[in-house]
Amino acid sequence: MATMTARILDFFDRVPRWVYIALALAFAIAFPMLEYFGLIQTLWLRVGTRVLVYVLLAVGLNLVLGETGLLHLGYVAFFAVGAYSTALLSSPRFGLQWNFWVIIAIAMGLAMLFGFLIAVPTLRLRGDYLAIVTLAFGEITRMTLNNWESLTNGPGGIPGIYPPVIFGWTVDSPMEFFYLLLVAVVIIVSLLNNIKNSRIGRAWNALREDEIAAHHSGVRPTHAKMLAVVMSSGIAGLAGAIFAYYQQFINPTYFLFMQSVIVVSMVVLGGMGSIPGAILGAVVLDATPEVIRQAFTSWLPSAVGPNFLPGVQAAMQTEFDRYRMAIFGLVIVLMVVFRPEGLLPNKLWRREVHEEDPRELEKTSQHLFDFEEGKQDLEV
Amino acid sequence: MAEEARIPLLEFRGVNTHYGRIPVLKDVNYKVYPGEIVCLLGGNASGKSTTMKTILGIVKPTTGEVFFDGAVINNMRTAERIKRGIATVPENRRLFPHLTVLENLEMGAYTRSDTAEIAADLERVYEIYPRVYERRSQRAGTLSGGEQQMVAFGRALMSRPRLIIMDEPSMGLAPALVDQSFDTIAEINKQGVAIFVVEQNATAALSIADRGYVLQNGQVVLDGLASEMLENEELKRAYLGG
Repeated sequence: MATMTARILDFFDRVPRWVYIALALAFAIAFPMLEYFGLIQTLWLRVGTRVLVYVLLAVGLNLVLGETGLLHLGYVAFFAVGAYSTALLSSPRFGLQWNFWVIIAIAMGLAMLFGFLIAVPTLRLRGDYLAIVTLAFGEITRMTLNNWESLTNGPGGIPGIYPPVIFGWTVDSPMEFFYLLLVAVVIIVSLLNNIKNSRIGRAWNALREDEIAAHHSGVRPTHAKMLAVVMSSGIAGLAGAIFAYYQQFINPTYFLFMQSVIVVSMVVLGGMGSIPGAILGAVVLDATPEVIRQAFTSWLPSAVGPNFLPGVQAAMQTEFDRYRMAIFGLVIVLMVVFRPEGLLPNKLWRREVHEEDPRELEKTSQHLFDFEEGKQDLEV
Repeated sequence: MAEEARIPLLEFRGVNTHYGRIPVLKDVNYKVYPGEIVCLLGGNASGKSTTMKTILGIVKPTTGEVFFDGAVINNMRTAERIKRGIATVPENRRLFPHLTVLENLEMGAYTRSDTAEIAADLERVYEIYPRVYERRSQRAGTLSGGEQQMVAFGRALMSRPRLIIMDEPSMGLAPALVDQSFDTIAEINKQGVAIFVVEQNATAALSIADRGYVLQNGQVVLDGLASEMLENEELKRAYLGG
């Protein structure tokens, strides 16, 4: 059984990376066409668009959580900053309709500034303390948005956000937003992939492994962490800006603490420090609940007929959201038990958690039974 | 002595350090000359670790000066000090356990950008430690203590240091490996690298060292040639178990 799994894994490992990338990209490009030709409902295109927003958030948070190992629980705050920048500068609220690029720059810049400001006092903290402080920061941001009525209109939110105009192209259908987001995802992911393999990427991984040793190797810990936090904040700001445009209406309830938790779950589920993992995590966690809901409210009833468990159908329509979080929790617990390295771990992380990985074991056992050095190994 | 005429590679001149208001090092003076092995002895809470941290710039002196290569480095960042030629073998070695051996060695060259030279230095480390070469694609955490020690030395060498500071290099090693480990230190030293080593294992450390300092409650209470210190009756009672 174990060898079978290993053989299958090996097969997937041997397929070159670009094949997967090409397949994923081809699917993403073709996806809105399915809707265009009536093969899927518009609902799925909306789900796809939302998934892409989460993909941006997940790959952004992965920088901090996965690469650098900082548990940041206030990530949604930067998303909110980006969204509110757009809402205030492109809506009837203050009668403004600024240029798309200017707004994107402001949304990202402001989110990065917020990231920087929160990083200054908190990056000296480690582990749990950092998590608590960033959590509080996220909540403070949301409450400020909720209460600063003269600026944000409080709980009433900001309606009527104007669609973006990009080089004369007005983006106002789900399909157009899907492609806009896809372009953003491709740009951000390729940037992140380059950074991951650069010097600073190494420094982040070293910090995650052992901060003191990294410091002794010449990494500047605060500096490097700051860079990770600021960059990931900028990505959240971008996601927020496009989200606000797409949604046309935002209020503080879009930026609850739970959103931060969901994005953390996506990164953990996909595999910490793995960009493909973060993407898959976002797709799975955001699309699956929708699939389940549709299965029970539409597909199964139409397949089985009108006698299909009417109670369940009704419950799914009204109550499902209440259980969503419980299901999330269950999925994460199952993950931690059975596949702690995530769905698509990067090589490093797999090494870390699966000591019994047969390919690993081969090397280790060779080393354990190396009699020449055996005496040393036993003693140390 | 002849050494006094040369410029020390590392020098502490009247260094005092504090954690908050609590004094740790009190008016400490050390000198490490180029190519020397200097050994720092001392019991618990004597200020050994603080000495290491002060050399690296993690702790800053409240008064006094730290010189490296003739320049005051009191306010220099750790990264800059490493660039100038200070490398460490930290306490417990502190490898990056889930990075490969090769990646660990590469982290040693983090402050450098001369790719060709780094590759040459990597070859040199592999030459000194063929064992490390064999293990290069294995993750560092799976190595034996002796092998980890080699990687830690190799990582320190990768920054092309002029001074390596070592914090308890024999700690956690099997007795049979301790001697071997000190042989390695002597060998590294032969390549022209000065070594400042903090050790509990005083006999072993002094036997390869040129000079030594004894630290007690943050003060240097004894210093001299290692050979003389090995004969010192008081020291024998306190540290050498004789």
